[in-house]
Amino acid sequence: MTRVFLLLLIISLLAACVGAQGAALPFVDLSVRTPLPQVAPAELTHLRIGVAAILSPQGTVASYSKLADYLAAKLGRPVDLLQRRTYAELNAMVEESQVELAFICTNAYVVGNEQFGMELLLAPEINGESVYYSQLIVPAESAAQSMADLRSQVFAFTDPMSFTGRIYPVYLLQQMGETPERFFQRTFYTYSHDRAIEAVADSVADGAAVDSLVLEYALQRNPALASRIRIIHTSEAFGIPPVVVPPTLPPRQKAQLRDLLLTMHTDAAGQAVLRELGIDRFVEIDNAAYDGVRAVVHATGIGE
Amino acid sequence: MSTGDTPLHTPLSGAPFPSRRLNRWAEIVWRVAGGVDVRTKILGMVLALTTVLGLAVTLQVRAVMTRVFMEELEGRGVSVASDLASRSVDPILLNDTYALHELLSETVNNHPDALYAFVLDRDNQVIAHTFGDAGFPVELLNPTLAVAAPNLYGTIRHWVYATNEGRVHEMIAPIMGGSAGVVRLGLTEARLQTVVNTVTGQMILTTLLVALAGIVAAMILTWLLTRPILDLVATTKEVGRGDLQARAPHWADDEIGTLADAFNQMVADLDASRRAIAEKEQARFLLLKKLITAQEEERKRIARELHDGVGQMLTSLMVGMRTLQHSDAANPAAHRMDELCATASETLEQVRTLSRELRPSLLDDLGLAAALERYASEFARAHPDITVDLHCDLPARLPGPVETALYRIVQEAMTNAARHGKASAISVLVSRRANTVQAIVEDDGVGFDVAAVRKRQSSVGIFGMTERAELLGGALDIESSPEGATVYVEIPL
Repeated sequence: MTRVFLLLLIISLLAACVGAQGAALPFVDLSVRTPLPQVAPAELTHLRIGVAAILSPQGTVASYSKLADYLAAKLGRPVDLLQRRTYAELNAMVEESQVELAFICTNAYVVGNEQFGMELLLAPEINGESVYYSQLIVPAESAAQSMADLRSQVFAFTDPMSFTGRIYPVYLLQQMGETPERFFQRTFYTYSHDRAIEAVADSVADGAAVDSLVLEYALQRNPALASRIRIIHTSEAFGIPPVVVPPTLPPRQKAQLRDLLLTMHTDAAGQAVLRELGIDRFVEIDNAAYDGVRAVVHATGIGE
Repeated sequence: MSTGDTPLHTPLSGAPFPSRRLNRWAEIVWRVAGGVDVRTKILGMVLALTTVLGLAVTLQVRAVMTRVFMEELEGRGVSVASDLASRSVDPILLNDTYALHELLSETVNNHPDALYAFVLDRDNQVIAHTFGDAGFPVELLNPTLAVAAPNLYGTIRHWVYATNEGRVHEMIAPIMGGSAGVVRLGLTEARLQTVVNTVTGQMILTTLLVALAGIVAAMILTWLLTRPILDLVATTKEVGRGDLQARAPHWADDEIGTLADAFNQMVADLDASRRAIAEKEQARFLLLKKLITAQEEERKRIARELHDGVGQMLTSLMVGMRTLQHSDAANPAAHRMDELCATASETLEQVRTLSRELRPSLLDDLGLAAALERYASEFARAHPDITVDLHCDLPARLPGPVETALYRIVQEAMTNAARHGKASAISVLVSRRANTVQAIVEDDGVGFDVAAVRKRQSSVGIFGMTERAELLGGALDIESSPEGATVYVEIPL
């Protein structure tokens, strides 16, 4: 009896052992740690393009990666697309020449131009003009008909430095003799225009002011959005967000970039990129085109 | 275990299995199982059953738990990795390394099974990880290692490798379809393994406790089972030594209890039968003694009868004849001759009576019916105040011993009825049945206590009747009441 019992026990234990073992697995000793290898410096100098967070980071990548690829092909060197959460951070990168080319907001240009001589390179042209608007949107079901109806509501700003997303609505309130702190129940920043549109569409915010170009683009991409939001106010025309370069950029490189962008609409690949960006072509623009913006900015006193 | 040349148990009958090897094993098992006592057998069975059951259940639960836990771990890993990948997009695009690092750290801290997480950019450079300042296990970046990881869950790949900290499941999730890099999340099995081991330990402990309880239960069971058997064995030995008063205790109403009852019944029957034999022996002894006495009495009676009756007659005859010898006168002689003839005739009659009393020749010559009729008429003559009613239904002669036995039994019963029963009427019925002959002697006397008389062993008559009937394989029964007694005899033919 005892022997039989022992035999059964041994068989059970053997079965347990066999069950526990599996196929041989690769082995990594996680306790062996070394400093990470340093990234070897790039052999070619990359062209760095900064894009302000007018769109969300992913939206920016979707829209601008084709431009980056196009420029890389034309210039024969890698192009890095750099983004930062705020306009101020990107302005600092332009000031410190960490980017060679930047797509920024109008107010960021006005401020950068005044602070460290940020230079205009070109501006997009859409339907023959280089203007855009700030548009006040509310959820489709909202009863609001103007800014005045948004009293004691939740309002979404895009970026502290955004012209269409913050400065213009603050300017509107100023005209009414109000400040955002008093007028709204609460405000918050979305740090991009497409997120502000989403916030209103989802009724997270009762209203927001957005870039007309971004709104039009978003409505093109997602027609269902039109039924969820309503535009209750459109501003006067302002100078379109420009393409800028640091003041320290060598003139030869500046000229090369300007020529490249100005002739983009003349070849098929360039046209595809421009279509992706929602613009017709790049054109020369005068600093005076942004005087309207300057007036509003100075009236509100933001960024001074 | 068997010792010497005589095996203590019989080997397995025949070959129960078709295979020789199996039979050999069965033989060994049988030898081991047969060699130990019942206590060890039951204990072994209980222990083997509980242990095998416990271990089997434990192994099964362990296997199922491990499988379920691993599936759950992988599912959780996939959801955490895909969440990490989508939440990593903005920090990577915005070059917010700190936010990325916070995201990874929080994720790893908030998931008990997460061991590490790190993010590689498009160029396979680590841009954030949770290994801390001590460095990075660069072996993980070895491109040949995870290359075989299959696309298990959509775009998320999964592979398993061994580490110094146990097995690790790694989920590799692409960020923005891989264009922004990948996030790799390592999940350790350690915690789940600990749970599985704890449960296994608990179950083994439970098995041990159950086995322990089983041992106690088996011991009680064994005691319950073997105690009555051992008692029975002890009683058997006592009975064997001759103590017929020994009884096995009845422990329970089960098979062993039934066995004890049957055994006790057997001993009781044995005792009763032995008592009956002793009683019979005693009665036989008395019968023998009385027979010898009766024989002497009979001889004395015959001697007296011969001396007083036939002797006197013959003496008187001899004296008469001598007187006749010495006398010359003729006339008186004729008168004397007549006297002598009468004396001789009387003597002859006395001899005949004596002879008939010794054994009726009618029984041998004409059979039971005639003998009984003769006896009944003589009985009636001897006892004029008793009416005798005799019916004999015997179409043919019976075997000699049977006729003799029935004659003597009826004779004894009638004598008893007259002598002790003070009866005024006796009815005798003898009849032939299919294979037996039956005799019933009924009287209307005062009756007697049959059991007391039998027990006293004083009545040689009753015992003699019984003995005669039983010697021929028959039976004798006596019923008695104050209204009379009845003797039933039945003798097989």
